[in-house]
Amino acid sequence: MATPAVRPRPSWWIYLGGLAGVATMVRLLADRDVPWLENLLVVFGSLLVEALPFVILGAFVSALIEVFVPAAAFARIGRLPRGLQLPAAAAAGMAFPVCECGSVPVARRLAQKGLSPAAAITFMLAAPIVNPVVIASTFVAYRGRDTVAVMVLGRLALGFLVAMAVGWVIGAMRPQDLLRHGAEPAETAPEPGSRSERFFGHLAGDVVFMGRFLVIGAAIAAAVQTFMPQSIVSGVATMPVVSLLAMMALAFVMSLCSESDAFVAASFVSFGPAAQLSFLVTGPMLDTKLAALYLGTFGRGFLRTVAIAVVAVTLAATLWIQVLFG
Amino acid sequence: MTRWSGQRLVVAAALGAWAAAFWFLFASGRTALYLSTRTSWLVPVGAVLATTAALGRLATARVRAPEPPEASLGLGVTLLVLPVVILLAMPPTTLGSFAVSRRSSFGGVSGVVTPDDFEHGPLTMVHIAAAEGSAEDMARLRARAGESVTFPGFVTRRPETPADEILLTRFVITCCVADATVAQVRVVGVPPGSIADGAWVEVTGRLFPIGDEVLLVASDVVEAQAPDSPYLTAY
Repeated sequence: MATPAVRPRPSWWIYLGGLAGVATMVRLLADRDVPWLENLLVVFGSLLVEALPFVILGAFVSALIEVFVPAAAFARIGRLPRGLQLPAAAAAGMAFPVCECGSVPVARRLAQKGLSPAAAITFMLAAPIVNPVVIASTFVAYRGRDTVAVMVLGRLALGFLVAMAVGWVIGAMRPQDLLRHGAEPAETAPEPGSRSERFFGHLAGDVVFMGRFLVIGAAIAAAVQTFMPQSIVSGVATMPVVSLLAMMALAFVMSLCSESDAFVAASFVSFGPAAQLSFLVTGPMLDTKLAALYLGTFGRGFLRTVAIAVVAVTLAATLWIQVLFG
Repeated sequence: MTRWSGQRLVVAAALGAWAAAFWFLFASGRTALYLSTRTSWLVPVGAVLATTAALGRLATARVRAPEPPEASLGLGVTLLVLPVVILLAMPPTTLGSFAVSRRSSFGGVSGVVTPDDFEHGPLTMVHIAAAEGSAEDMARLRARAGESVTFPGFVTRRPETPADEILLTRFVITCCVADATVAQVRVVGVPPGSIADGAWVEVTGRLFPIGDEVLLVASDVVEAQAPDSPYLTAY
């Protein structure tokens, strides 16, 4: 019996037509002077051109872990007391010098392989802050200032502290509740076959899975940067608690890479060290593009839990720094 | 007998699209429109990684059972490819006056020029950015008041800017355009009405840091081509 020919589904033509429509619209609008749109597209493009290589790199590491590291290795770590797991996971972040977008696929894979949710999340949140590249860039941004030690050591210490605190909170979550179910495309499902087939299957699946959320997050971040003037936070620079919250909010909407944010934070000269630290600690753990990645990757309530824990612990810690250093 | 998996081919095509975008940025020199010189290495690295991922997926796309592309994959792949379409369709574009109005609150970038650099060598707009981001650097710049400089930049004006003045502006980026901050000098002695907003010019004159702002008393203002690298790199 002849097999009926498989025709492309209509939805694929809709997607292709949509992409062609976007290309046409961009070309047509390019001839007119639309400053806000130019600003939006340039920021959107730059966020992705910078972040996507890190996501692909993270997906490479994630696929290597999946294919070459036996699950038993993570189960052994999982049997350690949580009091040991969390510092070890945070310290492991020092050996992973990538931005925050790259650590999400790795943490997701570690959790899938059986690492405890607490340790996986601690690693994910600590790595973008405590790695040597970020520490070095923070030092360079603040060198020559009286506050250089406070900023570098404060960022390192708060990075560890907040990541472990959030990991502790997440530790109450069951492993099966950590990751979002039913959201993965079939492409990311485990494949039988040779190691190379499995490696490239997981690699491609992770990039497609993470990439779409990164695109959504970058679009939101670009829109906020385009339509919200930064001046709305400058009026609260000298208000004790409000300045800390304002800088956290600014870090959330600006969605900067953790390797560059210190240079921007250092330019907020009207804000004190504590407010600048709240910017530097919150941003790599919680920003617009990360929020989209978290929503796509982790289960219900994860984003809310992380947001509350990160803001609460950072606020409490930076309040002390504000009392001591201003 | 094996056959091509439609599912895997679609994913390989999406990864290939990003590989093409990265190679295009690398070959066309448009990397400078999005990244700083210290992060421009990400584009060739991204190109190699995306190409490897695409080729790897293509090489493992032969399967025994049919795998037609699922509709659920369509939206994800379309979202992933959408920025590629925008990057390739968009003509070379940079941040301009509109962005200045959104970013002017936090001018300058601190820590990017060493005290030694301030004392010796020619002054650039990066020195201005450093001075506008730090009181210590502004004090160092004051030590060179009256020095003759030539700065390229684009023209912006505020509503209160007098007719014979312009604000010569550059963006300073550290990693990517999203972290751009503004470096600006107030140029006085410009022939009124001679230069449009957004135009690139080269201003020669004497530099005077006064208070929190930097004044440039122009002796010559000429229109110039926008540079290939429109943004200054902080470090």
